Amino acid sequence: MLRMQNLSKVYRTHMIETHALRGFAIEVKQGEFVTVTGPSGSGKTSFLNIAGLLEDFTDGEYVLDGINVKGMDDNARSRLRNEKLGFIFQGFNLIPDLSLFDNVDVPLRYRGFNRAERKERIEDALAKVGLASRMNHFPAELSGGQQQRVAIARALAGSPKLLLADEPTGNLDTQMARGVMELLEEINAQGTTIIMVTHDPELAVRAQRNVHIIDGQVSDLARKTPSLYDTNAGANAHVA
Amino acid sequence: MEFRPILSALLRNKTGPVLVAIQVALSLAILANALHIVQVRQATAARPSGLERESDVFALQVRHLKADSHNEQLALHRREAATMRAVPGVLSVASTTQMPLAQSGSYSGMAVSRKQVNDTANAAVYVTADSLVKTWGLHLIEGRDFRPDEAPEIDSNTSSDFPKVAIVTRALAEKMWPGASAIGKMTYFGTDAKADEVQVIGVVEALQSPAAQVNADGGYSIMVPAHITGPADESFTVRAEPGQLDRVMKETEAALRAASPTSIIVRTRSMVEMRANRYRADNGLSWMLVTVSVLLLLITASGIVGMASLWVTQRRKQIGVRRALGARRIDILRYFITENILITSAGVTAGVLLALALNQLLVSKLEMARLPAGYLLAGAGIFWALGVAAVYGPAWRAATISPAMATRSA
Amino acid sequence: MFQYYFLLGVRSLRRNPALTALMVLTLAIGVAASIATLAILHVMSGDPMPSKSDRLFVPLVDNGPVEGYTPGDRTNQQLSYKDAYNFLNSKQGERRVALYGVAAAVESPKKDIGMFTARGMAPTGDFFAMFDTPFLYGQGWSPADDASGADVVVLSRALSEKLYGNTNPVGQRLTMMGFQYQIVGVLDTWDVVPRFHRAVGRNSAFADEDEYYVPFASAIRHETEHNGNMSCTANTDPGFQARLASECTWIQFWFETRSAGDRVELQSWLDSYASEQRKLGRLMRNAPNKLYNLMEWLDYLKVVGNDSRLSTWLAFGFLVLCLVNTIGLLLAKFSVRAPEVGIRRALGASRKEIFQQFLVESAVIGLVGGVLGLLLAFGALALIALQSKELTIVAHMDWLMLLLTFAMSVTAAILAGLLPTWRACQVTPALQLKSQ
Repeated sequence: MLRMQNLSKVYRTHMIETHALRGFAIEVKQGEFVTVTGPSGSGKTSFLNIAGLLEDFTDGEYVLDGINVKGMDDNARSRLRNEKLGFIFQGFNLIPDLSLFDNVDVPLRYRGFNRAERKERIEDALAKVGLASRMNHFPAELSGGQQQRVAIARALAGSPKLLLADEPTGNLDTQMARGVMELLEEINAQGTTIIMVTHDPELAVRAQRNVHIIDGQVSDLARKTPSLYDTNAGANAHVA
Repeated sequence: MEFRPILSALLRNKTGPVLVAIQVALSLAILANALHIVQVRQATAARPSGLERESDVFALQVRHLKADSHNEQLALHRREAATMRAVPGVLSVASTTQMPLAQSGSYSGMAVSRKQVNDTANAAVYVTADSLVKTWGLHLIEGRDFRPDEAPEIDSNTSSDFPKVAIVTRALAEKMWPGASAIGKMTYFGTDAKADEVQVIGVVEALQSPAAQVNADGGYSIMVPAHITGPADESFTVRAEPGQLDRVMKETEAALRAASPTSIIVRTRSMVEMRANRYRADNGLSWMLVTVSVLLLLITASGIVGMASLWVTQRRKQIGVRRALGARRIDILRYFITENILITSAGVTAGVLLALALNQLLVSKLEMARLPAGYLLAGAGIFWALGVAAVYGPAWRAATISPAMATRSA
Repeated sequence: MFQYYFLLGVRSLRRNPALTALMVLTLAIGVAASIATLAILHVMSGDPMPSKSDRLFVPLVDNGPVEGYTPGDRTNQQLSYKDAYNFLNSKQGERRVALYGVAAAVESPKKDIGMFTARGMAPTGDFFAMFDTPFLYGQGWSPADDASGADVVVLSRALSEKLYGNTNPVGQRLTMMGFQYQIVGVLDTWDVVPRFHRAVGRNSAFADEDEYYVPFASAIRHETEHNGNMSCTANTDPGFQARLASECTWIQFWFETRSAGDRVELQSWLDSYASEQRKLGRLMRNAPNKLYNLMEWLDYLKVVGNDSRLSTWLAFGFLVLCLVNTIGLLLAKFSVRAPEVGIRRALGASRKEIFQQFLVESAVIGLVGGVLGLLLAFGALALIALQSKELTIVAHMDWLMLLLTFAMSVTAAILAGLLPTWRACQVTPALQLKSQ
């Protein structure tokens, strides 16, 4: 699904050069649920931005769903992003002046679907996250957990191949966080590849695979270890 | 297009858009009326006086210390005219009692029959002993000019003599005898039983009155032939050769002074100067209105730019999110321009209504003219264009916001 | 506290110079436009003689022909010689003045100035006392000279200086219209505007002063032509004497009464005069006889033209636009200060105190805008004054207008600041502090 080789990202501001990623390599297969962890300043955000085609990279190779994105101009990246990816942010990032319906609608508009198609997708997406009844409400009227679910609906409405989540439960309490995680796992079970950036080690172990980044490089590729939350955990439950 | 969500978002956050719409509305209302007034005034000032090559003509007034006797004055006037004709560059000289556009002059109510109780029209009365048709290059469309023998010599102190013939302007002829030829008709200077009677022998295309009124009265003029004596001053009008006006004005004045045994006062004024004076107030107003219109556009534009910049700054995160969700740069640009068009349209609609209301006020309280629809359309077009032009800068900046804004924590 | 807010306001001006400049400029332009046109309107419509304006009256009787008369037709604006003569001898009111405009060829005592035409007035002797004219040298002519129409003259200061420099010319003789006039007085600069006493005829209630004054009777005696409006409704016989006997109107008249209340008495006298004249076959129209006090007279003559009114309305519309524009800019300026407000509130400021702070800040902008606006207004008035002589006289600013500029600018800024300030107060401290 996603493959990066020898990727580097250098930020140049005035006279300072920052190497956010160097010689970075990662491969994520279709249908995987991968978490990405690392201390702050490690390059997690840069990785996510590049993976999400939000930023361009300085050197290396990045292939997304068979397409080599090197040298793509902004328009092409936007198109690709719109068709293949779905985003979930820590701060939800819903547009406050739009109803839930219109919020989910935003990426679909850039896709060029007609009115009927959009309506169907939006209603389906909101139903999937359990908020269809509140379609015409506004974000300010919802709790944090509900807002994040709307954001997930927005990410799903375009039937993306890959879902990128940036600390999706960071602003939620434990109960809401659990609900969101369950939703994500459900989505993954239905076939969507998910890459989730998090600094919470407990969440990290829920995924099938964890990628740890330190100083812009992948430090080790740990295999999944069963976690407290894993109901299928066997006797080898081990808290990291 | 994305109208509905944009509109719904605007309605949720009304203050800014309303302020911009109000500015557009006010500006449009004022601009439409102001530009219309300018056009009306400029049209008024551009009206022809009826004189051919007006810029070659000037007026000359001679004032003496004391008035001579009737015969002495007759000879004096003839001498003065001859002196002026001898000046090189003088094409024609005529005596006249007033000048068009000079703002001061003599008028008379005119009637078509002695039995009338009210005047038919009010006309400016030009008296000449020579030919104003020739000196002023008036366009004779019917009949003929005066003959030299048709000008009686009248001592204004003692005689109630009056000329027997007259030349009228086409406008006056139409007013007095609609649809018929004026030639041969009798007309009377007033409705008094003793009003002077003249016969119309010629019609000229146009000759404005001294006041050059804005309404139809400005075109009603009548010329009669006579050589009048009495006051201690006499007036002439002179046509100079093209391009030699200034020199001729100076030389005729000098020639008259040299030829006069006593000291005299000579005052010359060109038609150009008189025209400028007549329309000075109108031109001043026009300039002021144009200045204000330009300022209006600048201020409204600055208001739009300011608001749009503020929104771009306030919505940085939101714009990043849209980009993250797949919007291209051009989609962001289009979003802001669409938003702007919606706001401007609201402003234009209100502005058109306001312009009409303002015009109604101007018509009823200040005697101004009605606003033609064309100005409203033009105004709407101007402000739509202004809005898009003003919002382009901030919209472009918005479009350059990186999608990575979405993942930033603050 | 106010001082503190004032300093904060001044300091905040520097923080975003571009935005501040834009705000100040917009406000200044709006204020300047309004003040410039208002100043002109103020002069044009002001009361030129407040001490007497309610007891100076212009009488008008309608001596037009009966045929073709529709009641309600506008009457003439002047009087015939007959009526003026009768009013002069009526002994009504405390003072009576008849006058008409004249012009004369003046021979200069100085050799370097040739003969020239001067514009003047021929009033009766009470003119100077009625209109409180200021004298530089000498005085008006005596009642005896007035009655006999002696050849005496009062010069304007401008004419006196033109002919005699800075010396006192009283007693000297001046040749005008070929006759010798003895100078009995020189008027000081007489800045009364609008020139109500001769608003009719020369199209200029705002033109230069008249250059000389000769007795009414003297001008009549010399059969001096009028330099102003004359309106005749019937053919008159030739000659000056015939004109005096005719119903042509060309003379202006003023009554001065002891008090404003005497108007009633004067009106009833006027009415009985008219009915007496009707017995003699004059004033047959039997139209209402009018008395206008000074301000009513200026109004009747439409001294303040439509164009001036238009300019003033336009300027105010423009000011409103600038105001709305400023509201937007202030909104922008204050909205980025939300974090500051949050902190201040967290540190104990009440909503009211935040309100005061930002309102004072608006006022500071208004003050700076006022200074700039004043300069621009002066510039605008100077530009306007260039257009014509009349506007030169009218386009200037007095102290009242100056103060009004600042008042207008500060008030406008405060009004514009109300909404943004209220918005600023609504900021919830908690929200602002958290999202750092």
